[in-house]
Amino acid sequence: MKEIVVVSGKGGVGKSSITASICHMLSQNHKIVMADTDVDAPNLDITTGARLTEEEDIAASEKAYINYDKCTSCFRCIDACRFSSIIKSDMPVIMHYSCEGCGACKIVCPSDAIEIRKTVNGQIKTFIGKNGYIVSGELKMGESSSGHLVDEVKSRARKQALIQHADLLFVDGPPGIGCPVISTLKGSDHVIAVTEPTPAALSDLKRVIDTACHFKPTISIIINKFDMNPAMTAAIKRYASDSRIVILGKIPYDLSIPKAITMTLPVTSAYPYCAASAAIRETAENIESKIILNRSEHEY
Amino acid sequence: MISEKLMHTKIITTFHHKEFSTPLIGITGGKGGVGKTTVAVNIACSIAAKGYRVAMVDADVDAPNAAILMGLKLELPETVSSMIPIFDNARCVRCAKCIAVCRRNAILMPIDSIPMLIGECNGCEACTLVCPSEAITKGSKPVGRTWMTTAGNITLYTGELLTGSEESSFVVTALRERAAKDAENFDIIIVDTAPGTHCNVINALRGVDMAYAVTEPTPLGAHDLELIMKAMGIFEIKTRIILNRSDLPGRPVEIHNIASTHHTFVMESIPMHESIEKSYAEGKPVISAFPESPTANIFLKIADSIIKEHIR
Repeated sequence: MKEIVVVSGKGGVGKSSITASICHMLSQNHKIVMADTDVDAPNLDITTGARLTEEEDIAASEKAYINYDKCTSCFRCIDACRFSSIIKSDMPVIMHYSCEGCGACKIVCPSDAIEIRKTVNGQIKTFIGKNGYIVSGELKMGESSSGHLVDEVKSRARKQALIQHADLLFVDGPPGIGCPVISTLKGSDHVIAVTEPTPAALSDLKRVIDTACHFKPTISIIINKFDMNPAMTAAIKRYASDSRIVILGKIPYDLSIPKAITMTLPVTSAYPYCAASAAIRETAENIESKIILNRSEHEY
Repeated sequence: MISEKLMHTKIITTFHHKEFSTPLIGITGGKGGVGKTTVAVNIACSIAAKGYRVAMVDADVDAPNAAILMGLKLELPETVSSMIPIFDNARCVRCAKCIAVCRRNAILMPIDSIPMLIGECNGCEACTLVCPSEAITKGSKPVGRTWMTTAGNITLYTGELLTGSEESSFVVTALRERAAKDAENFDIIIVDTAPGTHCNVINALRGVDMAYAVTEPTPLGAHDLELIMKAMGIFEIKTRIILNRSDLPGRPVEIHNIASTHHTFVMESIPMHESIEKSYAEGKPVISAFPESPTANIFLKIADSIIKEHIR
């Protein structure tokens, strides 16, 4: 089984819509399981119009809890906390949203009043779509430890892929380059970085590719809305060729994509004959020939 | 025993505490790429154009773009570091307490050696607290940088997480502190957050007088707006909605419904216009590249309403 991860650095460049459409195309020849590790704003189920079949609370986070019967209000815990997560009131109060559960407060507490407990920080949802299962994570509001939740989503998606005898696991990643992105990248065979021709997206593209390089997968690029700014598209191509990264596809700006999103369908299914769908079909063929069938060509 | 409700009240009170008197507003939105930074930069520049001193804080340290949109070359860098343990061979008694206490399993002790750091350390210092022989000293590793760049009436505070580092929160905190130190020099501070509803978004919004959630009328925009509005509700942050690309195919009525469910309203709709894409590509705010455009007018209108509500 191959694990392909889609990231972008910058948010909103079309990761989920493109992932959904590519999976729609590839599902003609492959058994696919999809995972959505954008646990802050999971959207893959919407872009594919999938149906929820299962949801489960996940305790992928640890947090400190104070037993106020034992607390003597010495406030040593406040000095020990490197994350400024304990505030001084008439007694110490833990701001759970930023608590990392590191246990430093527990170590310094002289009256054994602090306990570190597993805490529910999100949910894992399983959806069935036309093109296969989607395993998706959703972080609770304002929670931390999104990386641990992503680890859980990925491990369940891999299990689901085994159960389904899938030969492809497609992971729709979060924006950014931090903790949840790093967890998403771990263990992947190939990373597709989606970008668009703007200076901001190119800057973020470079950052996410630098991050991905730490994990040594093969990497490729898809340029969305490539015709919006020819000069920037040329700059992306220059960057790609300097870094010896293959450009898998270029997708034109096409209002069929937002229209398809409104219909909760991949654009390739809603408007199979539009310009964007044709480009996505070609991109999927490139993924088939260059990544799935002929991996060696891409091991730089 | 202290009740959950009382704790929540204490947390909310601290959350809303601000160590300065300058008005502080946040620009957020849940979904990525809806135009948060574009809106934030243009509001900041519109307010500055009216003669106010503005601090713009780009708290999306994973993917910082405000400087690119403003066409600024960054100045005055400062390194953000996190603590890492350094093990002293001579003092270590090989008790392995540091290994037991590290919840990240980042420390390993090979059979014939002292402990060593193998995993991602988050700088919590728990190991230094349990070491009985003072064998661990505090080293530091860089995790990011912050910059302060002034151009006319605007000062941009921006930060970046180093690639491969996980601890965005340290950089966000350092950036907040750097801007807070200078707060009294400004008439208003505008914080632009990362996408999402995670702790770094919440942390960036600490102390804001009001948040503005930018969204778009697609089902994805609506879905993520609902999430951020729930988060704003939990932290009792007063929020207004700005509907960007309001003429994208979609259902703006859903955005209005979400607004009324959360007892707020869509304060402004910004239709798509070539001036946005063009100015974006040029690395200039719309209000300076195309001051006559309808989009520039909308931003000036938003700026007026913010000035009226927060500065005066």
